[in-house]
Amino acid sequence: MTGFQFQFCSVSKVYDGHSALSGVSFTVTAGEHLSILGPSGCGKSTALRLLAGLEPPSQGQVLLDGMPISQPNQVLMPPSLRGIAMVFQDLALWPNLTALDNVLLGLSGAKLTRREARARSEETLNLCGIASLAHRRPGQLSGGQQQRVALARALAARPKLLVLDEPFSSVDIMTKARLLGEVRSLAAQQNLTVVLVSHDPLEAAAICQNAVVLEDGRVQEQGSLSDLMQDPQSQMLMTFRDYHRLQ
Amino acid sequence: MISCLWLERPGAWRMAGVIGVLFLAALPAAPLFLQVILAHEPLSLGGAFGTALWNSFAVAIATGVLAFAFGLPAGVLSALYEFRGRAAFLAIAMLPALVPSFLWAIGWATLTGRISPAVTDLISRQTGCVLVFLAGAVPLVLIASHVAAIGLSGSQIDAARLAGGEKAVLRYVSGAAAVPAALAALLSAVLTLSDPGPGQILALRTAASEILTSFSSLYDFNLAGCQCAVLAMLVLLLAAPLAWLAAPRLSVQIMARQTRSLRRPGLGRAAIWITASFTLLIAGTIAMPVLGLLLPLLRGIDFAQASGVVGRTSVNTLVYAGGAGVVATLLALLLALFVGRDNRLRSICLGVGLAILALPPALGSLGIMHMAAGAPAWTDPLLRSRATVCFVLGLRFLPAAVVLTMRAWQSMPVSWVQAAELHGISLALYVRRVVIPFLLPSTAAAIALVALLATADVGTVLLLHPPGKTSFPLAIFTVMANAPESLVASLCLAYLGLAAGLLAVMWTFMRRQAR
Repeated sequence: MTGFQFQFCSVSKVYDGHSALSGVSFTVTAGEHLSILGPSGCGKSTALRLLAGLEPPSQGQVLLDGMPISQPNQVLMPPSLRGIAMVFQDLALWPNLTALDNVLLGLSGAKLTRREARARSEETLNLCGIASLAHRRPGQLSGGQQQRVALARALAARPKLLVLDEPFSSVDIMTKARLLGEVRSLAAQQNLTVVLVSHDPLEAAAICQNAVVLEDGRVQEQGSLSDLMQDPQSQMLMTFRDYHRLQ
Repeated sequence: MISCLWLERPGAWRMAGVIGVLFLAALPAAPLFLQVILAHEPLSLGGAFGTALWNSFAVAIATGVLAFAFGLPAGVLSALYEFRGRAAFLAIAMLPALVPSFLWAIGWATLTGRISPAVTDLISRQTGCVLVFLAGAVPLVLIASHVAAIGLSGSQIDAARLAGGEKAVLRYVSGAAAVPAALAALLSAVLTLSDPGPGQILALRTAASEILTSFSSLYDFNLAGCQCAVLAMLVLLLAAPLAWLAAPRLSVQIMARQTRSLRRPGLGRAAIWITASFTLLIAGTIAMPVLGLLLPLLRGIDFAQASGVVGRTSVNTLVYAGGAGVVATLLALLLALFVGRDNRLRSICLGVGLAILALPPALGSLGIMHMAAGAPAWTDPLLRSRATVCFVLGLRFLPAAVVLTMRAWQSMPVSWVQAAELHGISLALYVRRVVIPFLLPSTAAAIALVALLATADVGTVLLLHPPGKTSFPLAIFTVMANAPESLVASLCLAYLGLAAGLLAVMWTFMRRQAR
């Protein structure tokens, strides 16, 4: 894999006078598995949208290999050219299309022939263990199966960076554990760079080595997840540690 | 390549688009308003117009109050409990909303005429008009309260049940449904002010029937225009606060939500009483006038003549209905696109839409005629054709299409567009593969609903149809005074049968979609 680096440089985002992110800086390097941790409403998903180029920042810059790709109120590089694929919190599967068509439509921007796109879609669905359900629509699939389709759609694009926006928040713990294991092995197998957004440090620890902890739109701490867990500075990780000591 | 995110981007273009479409919707009404506002001489409204206005308002108030009294409990009970015939009752209760009110007036007039003069006196004028209007008003209130009640989550109902049993449930749900029901009752009362049919048939001078008389019998366009504009201003005075109050609430209600839907328990013996009450309600508003339409057929059905009328008018009726449906739905889709996820714009659209719906239908039609009178001949295809009728009918029922399409549009999550953008899908491809297939069922439902409502609107077609291009309900309206009773009854029943058939198709389609 070629090396690359996404950088958040003092990024802020304001919606209708309300600050969602304030002076946030962190880096995602090729091969890294980074978690953005924080309680609900702390700006995690906003950070992902800015990273993906779905929205411009209000202040600061997003850089790719040192070149600005987003600057205040301007997206310089469109999302489709950043090499980022995302599994959304609500999965964002198009309900009128089958699992296969969801993946195929996701490849329409990839400049592949129809045959190549179909072959790659089937291959990725197979990789995600959902090939037998390729002709079912999302409404005919269970929550866990839908997660796999969303993952297949993201992976089929062969992204530089796979972004997971709390995708496992609505499945039971058994399915979550199985899916986390599968994502970890897929990431290793495909040599993927992963950014996982979560409010659960355990979930983050299942996939990621590093973490950025956000609270009230600001970075409270960042570094190796194991170090952060040992000596937490943020309210979130301290509460998590205390809770587990009580247990 | 145009970005898919364009569909979700805020900007001044949204407000400009909404204003443009709403301006177009209000355009036919503008000439008469301007004429009245800019008039240099005092307005002449005719001697009896004051009395007619008084009668109209008395009927409107009685209709609104009674519709609330019957519609609220019926809506709440049908939402909360399972009882024998619940689905059928709801379907039948919808029927009057899709049938011109003058059909019920003909039914009542025929029925009472066969019983005794005393009954005819009792069910005529104000009482008769209120009875006829209740057939359309009760379903409106019933549907509003039913929708408000099923909008509550199963958990909320269970909490009320645990706190105080069925009484607490009824109290809680009735409280939640009371405001939408009151607004629906007010809207149905305002709508009676614009309907000329029952007043003409049941010998009551109403403002709407006076306007029709001024135009179609006295051929006095100016008088009709002034009367119509004055009525419209009074209606607007009433409708504006209603729209102001209802729009934000409706704006929230039309948003699709995911909640645990309520479970409908049976009520044992009490269910018999509910079934009986619904039977009485249906009998009082629908079955009796239908009986009135059936009685003349005992002497024989005028099948040949009736089928001749149906055959002669069916193409025009379909063109007017389908055209109105397409115009209203296309404009509604445009509005849904412009509104996007902006709550304020959604409230504005719904508020203005409610106000437009409440205006007398003759206002737009007379306005178009006013424009046509001074326009050159080359504008005839625009101002004096079947397309004109479709356009004006479509604008009138735009709010019905707006509610359906806006709800469907809002139920597409932002993340769909974001996913499409991340995968480099072009806007055209996204719209073709995702948006259009997703909106298709709601669009079809909107076209069908507006088509049915437009078919029931006689006033617009009466004033605007090109010579010889009459619609089926208008044919009934024009022959009802002179044709044999059996022919009129045959035509009315044919209309009812067609409306019921279409309603059944729509009902089945929507139930299948819901599953």
